[in-house]
Amino acid sequence: MEFPVLFWGVLGWMIFWGVSGSILIRRRYLARDLDTSNATFIGTMAGAALGPVGIAAVWAGTPRASGYLSTALALLAVLIIAVTFSFADPDNICVTSGGFVASQVVNGLIIGIIYGFMALGLSLIFSILGVVSFAHGEFYMIGGMLVYWITEVLMPGVNPLIGVLGACAVAFVIGAVFERLMLTPMYHGKIDRPVEYGILVTFGLAFTLQYFVQAVAGASPVKVQRYVEFPRFRFPAEADLVWIKTSRGSMTLFEQVTISSPRLSAAVTCILVLLALLYFMHRTWTGKALRAVSQDREAAAIAGISPDRMNMLAFALGGMIAALAGALLVQAFSWLPQVGAIPAMRSFVIVVLGGLGSLPGAFVGGIMVGLVEAAGTGCIPDAQKAASYIPAYGMIVLTLTLLLRPTGMFGRRFASGSHGQL
Amino acid sequence: MKRQIPNIAGAAFLLLLAVFPLTYGGADYDYVMHILITGFFYAILAASWSMLSGYAGQFSFGHMGFMAIGAYSAGLFRHYIYLSPEPTGLCAETQFFGQWLVVVNPIGVTSTTLTQDCLRQAMDAWAGSVEVTAMPVLLGVVLGTLMGALAGFLVGMLVLRLRAAYLALFTLGFSEILKATISAEIDITRGQAGLELPALYPSGITLFGRFYEPTDKLPPYYTMLGLLLICLIILGWLAHSRFGLFVRALREDQDAAAALGVNTTKYKVLVFSVTCSMAAAAGAVQGHYVQIITPNMLFLLQMSLVVAMAVIGGIENFVAAAIGAIILQVLLEMLRNSFVIGGVEVDMTIWRLVFFGILLMITLRFFRNGLIAPMIAYFRRQGVAEETVAKRASTVTGPEGGPHRTEAPD
Amino acid sequence: MTTFRLLAATAAGALLATGAYAVDCPIKIGGIAPLSAPGTVVGGEAMREAMLIAEEDINAAGGVLGCDIKVVIGDSEGLPEKATAIMEKLIAQDGVAAVGGGYHSSVGVASKDVADARGVPVVFAETWNDTITGDKQKYIFRIAPLSSWASATIWQFALTVPDVKKVAILTENTDYGIPASQETARGLETGGVESVTFSVDIGTQDYAGIVQRIKAENPDMIITLVTGEAAYNFTQQAADAGIGPLDMPFVTGQDALESGAYWQNVPDGQYAFVQRIGVPETQFSDKGRAFAAKYKERMGKSDVESYAMEAYDSIAVIAQAIGEAGSTDGDAIVAALEGIVHEGTLGRIYFPYGTQKDPSEDGKGDEWWHQWPDPALTMIQYQDEGQDSTSAAIVYPDAYKTTEPVFVHQ
Repeated sequence: MEFPVLFWGVLGWMIFWGVSGSILIRRRYLARDLDTSNATFIGTMAGAALGPVGIAAVWAGTPRASGYLSTALALLAVLIIAVTFSFADPDNICVTSGGFVASQVVNGLIIGIIYGFMALGLSLIFSILGVVSFAHGEFYMIGGMLVYWITEVLMPGVNPLIGVLGACAVAFVIGAVFERLMLTPMYHGKIDRPVEYGILVTFGLAFTLQYFVQAVAGASPVKVQRYVEFPRFRFPAEADLVWIKTSRGSMTLFEQVTISSPRLSAAVTCILVLLALLYFMHRTWTGKALRAVSQDREAAAIAGISPDRMNMLAFALGGMIAALAGALLVQAFSWLPQVGAIPAMRSFVIVVLGGLGSLPGAFVGGIMVGLVEAAGTGCIPDAQKAASYIPAYGMIVLTLTLLLRPTGMFGRRFASGSHGQL
Repeated sequence: MKRQIPNIAGAAFLLLLAVFPLTYGGADYDYVMHILITGFFYAILAASWSMLSGYAGQFSFGHMGFMAIGAYSAGLFRHYIYLSPEPTGLCAETQFFGQWLVVVNPIGVTSTTLTQDCLRQAMDAWAGSVEVTAMPVLLGVVLGTLMGALAGFLVGMLVLRLRAAYLALFTLGFSEILKATISAEIDITRGQAGLELPALYPSGITLFGRFYEPTDKLPPYYTMLGLLLICLIILGWLAHSRFGLFVRALREDQDAAAALGVNTTKYKVLVFSVTCSMAAAAGAVQGHYVQIITPNMLFLLQMSLVVAMAVIGGIENFVAAAIGAIILQVLLEMLRNSFVIGGVEVDMTIWRLVFFGILLMITLRFFRNGLIAPMIAYFRRQGVAEETVAKRASTVTGPEGGPHRTEAPD
Repeated sequence: MTTFRLLAATAAGALLATGAYAVDCPIKIGGIAPLSAPGTVVGGEAMREAMLIAEEDINAAGGVLGCDIKVVIGDSEGLPEKATAIMEKLIAQDGVAAVGGGYHSSVGVASKDVADARGVPVVFAETWNDTITGDKQKYIFRIAPLSSWASATIWQFALTVPDVKKVAILTENTDYGIPASQETARGLETGGVESVTFSVDIGTQDYAGIVQRIKAENPDMIITLVTGEAAYNFTQQAADAGIGPLDMPFVTGQDALESGAYWQNVPDGQYAFVQRIGVPETQFSDKGRAFAAKYKERMGKSDVESYAMEAYDSIAVIAQAIGEAGSTDGDAIVAALEGIVHEGTLGRIYFPYGTQKDPSEDGKGDEWWHQWPDPALTMIQYQDEGQDSTSAAIVYPDAYKTTEPVFVHQ
């Protein structure tokens, strides 16, 4: 029973000083007429990491609220929690087994890359249109459903690549058509509150898509065979420690870390597509135009870029990215019309953590959320509850980020005109 | 005269709802009553949500979370606290006005072959010699409402600085954390297995000189209808007081309102507390009516149903939202019957929801004030001095670049 | 008062006696099955088809009381709150005389109170939780095995597996999974085997973290007590991570019984053990064989699942009871069910304990109330890739054993 006392005691101490710090330091920065956008975050982290000493130091020094300082303090706070945890529960497998930690980290990274990639689509939409698409999970869902429909119903036995490409194409078209039909009126001030309109109308799309798929495909779960079967392989062949070993469905590294074929192929594809996307955004005219619109609509329009067309492209592209994530993960999970809810929630967490509208933020945020979830699932001592709390870990990160630093890690204050204002 | 049409229609509609259970005699009486009770439940949620989101502009996706707080507070209170004339000697208990207040130990999901909770053990030992009383349902409902108000107050305090998309995401996060906690803390909440509640009137009730069984639909019908009316009266009173003005100012321009001396913090927290306590009260009553609550009522899709009902009714008019909710609930049930078109059977149990989603999008796109609110506004406008109408018309068309005001003033 | 009641009862009895066939045709019987997720759709569809075949067979044999019967299917979605609503609808709107079917335990636990309060008999087909009969309600019957008893088959089998020191149990956090896991853990402990339990929501898809944790526990055997899709998802992901059926003794969910789908999703799934209810097909009764042939043809399946047979029997036993009672009155049907001897597809169905004879008279627990005591419970093993469950080997208990089990870790 030592565990709860020590751990919760330290956590309570950190929360107390964190809350005090957030209030005090914000007041201090306000009183001295300094930029307060980072003050809450710094105050909280200083209080949580160093207690009253930290608060006093920041109070006295009122340093420029730089990214380095806040990152260092945040890392220190996380480190303190981790150390306390290892002292409080020395028998936990997260503390005792290096192999377990390695495999959890790899797992978290892989799933984080996939969800980060999916969240990238959401962030792209937000950066151009200023809309949080509530239909993102449904694009993910139709991606998987279309792969199933193409490879199992329409053309059984066809190469899964065709299914994936087909799913992307259909999702792109749905996104483009929806944007033309439903989102166009919000660009020209015809709507009182465009942000809310955007949320509601994408919500309507989500509702419609989900039930449409259920009406057409039924509520029965569908499954797709894994795309890649590994050949049996060992390297080095004759050694005490096998570095890489593969079986049909999985790959084992150093006899510790197992990665399943569906996840590995999905993560690799995501990275490849991400690189292609980067090339597109930075090396092609259309991509540059997209970035220009996200930075300054009016200036881009003056430079001869049609913001309306970019809106359509961004929404379609964002939906397609989600559909691709779904098309890649359908081989790992059984698929249902309701399957989009959890990844959609995860995408929200990721984009808020990374900063709404920030593309690199989405990717880094994805990896962080993947790691947080892996840590939560792996280390919570009560095996009965660890899995049930999975959806909550990300949401706690989300609410904390919004309270402490609503612009996220890489967020620009005004991502797109006055949308998403603070 | 024409201006009175909405009032007259409203009174007639209300009268119809009030006498309906006494006059209707169809074989599907219970079923029709069930739909209407659920309709009133959604009407309370839609009306309070439209006050919060449409009127005050605090776009919340956590309304179902507050509803669940009400339901679970009432449920857990009833599930774990009992009054007993004798001490059990097993449970945590304390003397309470000559009785013993017994707090049952949480054992979660169980089965008759496993260890039972301390009260069950004690009662087995007493073998029927001691009568244990459960807490009154009404007390649980009141407690649930208060917990909802408290939760609304806290969340309102936390979201003071958040707006638009950020607020929507925060409240969504709140609701999801709540859902995960209820699902995970199986020992206390029974998780997905659901927490069972007693009927609203566990030992029956006598109304109009007739005794009604706990399973009868008439008492919960009037309870839910009464709750809806109380909520609408409170909302109406609030909307027409200074509170309503200030709350609208919050939506239009929070900074300007603050600069003009409106205590924005106070009104923001107040509107959260009031509307969330209404959601919680509705949740507690509905929980007792359905007699089982599970974390699934926190699904985003449940929330989307409320949002859709409010939007289709008229997001900025809570009466329209409530009427919209009742009509849509009835309509959705009526559309359950499948039909055959050109040899293809259309299974309406699912397709009706597809049409519902399309209706939601079309309403948003082309009828921004919903479908019911404009009807009310149409009659209300008749008889307004022509000058005012002209003024309004000029605001609607508005100068180029200026903010366009299209919603109907009420 | 008592005299009056007696008189009224006699009068009612006389009326029934004279007008024994004065029932509304067709006689409606409810059938509950999960037909959408998160319920086990595969199981639900099988049960629906089986219950509709039962309807056809009974009507082809001349129906009951001169009427045809009609089975009204209700979709429970595997959710307790939907279960109460659907039970309410079947009784209040469709006016069913009795209800059969039922797959998820939480559905059974939640809906039984509704039916009992309304005096409509229910014969549950596949809900295992002991509480369902353990509450000793007058109108509740069951032909599925008891959870405590079914768990005993699993842990007793696990104790026969050589070299097992530690077992990892994955369970769903429902009325089926949690008691079953506790009973299994308790049973394993009696044999000196350690166990660790992980619980998940039935909607969970991604088991990566849990699989790693189970792997880190280094178990010698894995027992999954989950239904439906969760069983597929977990077994596949465990197999990919190197702790699947190919790597250690692995008891997977009962829904693996549906051939084809299992092999598509868990290609490396041979050597898995699955619990099965009912005797092997070679030992079927004539009625069982006839049903199996019809069912396989109708569904295009190569084998018949035990829950389909239970669903068929639940409808057939109700129909026979209505015939013997001579009316659709709930009390009369209960009286008939308590004395029934029904030759079903699973064997001879009867309910030895009830209002006439309490289980305690034979020293049995409350859970034997209205419980069919004879369903056969076996463990089967897929010994080759792509095998049908009918051709799979029965490895436990000895009375039904066809082959020795293959233990892969040896």
